[in-house]
Amino acid sequence: MKNQKTKECHFCVNNLEVDYKDVRTLRKFINFYMKILPGKRTGVCAWHQRKLATAVKRARVMALLSATHK
Amino acid sequence: MSKTKKSNIGHYEVLFIVPNRFTEDEAKQVITAVEGVITKNNGEIDYREYWGKKKLAYEIKHNAYGYYALAEFNADKEAVALINQELRLSNDVIRHQIIAKRVKSEEEIAKAKAIQEKINARKKEEEKLLKEKNEKGENDSKEKRSKKTETKKEEKSDAKELDQKLEGILSAKDLI
Repeated sequence: MKNQKTKECHFCVNNLEVDYKDVRTLRKFINFYMKILPGKRTGVCAWHQRKLATAVKRARVMALLSATHK
Repeated sequence: MSKTKKSNIGHYEVLFIVPNRFTEDEAKQVITAVEGVITKNNGEIDYREYWGKKKLAYEIKHNAYGYYALAEFNADKEAVALINQELRLSNDVIRHQIIAKRVKSEEEIAKAKAIQEKINARKKEEEKLLKEKNEKGENDSKEKRSKKTETKKEEKSDAKELDQKLEGILSAKDLI
């Protein structure tokens, strides 16, 4: 029962949109190995978590984020 | 499919990388050329952004650096396919990505604004509460401090009295 804290969705609470160009925010939702963190861990709502996953993938395509850590 | 026919024109956003072998001026020329490709295919550019030279997260065709540029445009589906094809074949652009952007209706914008106002109001209230709390805390601590000083004074006065008593006793002893 590690992550049982009820978190609020970062994007819903602050009325933000998920943007693949905003690497700084995306960086919060991936781990050291550049893997996308699960929604359970990030506390982001399911709707935004889906947008987040595609945003990270788009950022990877444009070399804004790397797909692996070095 | 909905029965009402929607216009074929959509709003798109293209982000592309110009390789580092160009100088900054040449890169800007390439960017204008890319914008030319969009306008040639009946695309209307309504927003431009130039990010400048950036380090790539990984090497693309042995390029460690690249010039990023962004353009938003309105075009129909077929035109977007053509633009995509041209950019893919171009040697002056090492990577590009065209993304369909949803255009917000006025209602949605109004809704978002209302929510933003609510959030701002809530934040202000929270700040107020925090300030009040802090002030209260400061007052409390001040009171505590003053109390402490009082007690210290009392202790000091006690010490003085003790000294006097002691002196009295000592003098009495001397008398003996």
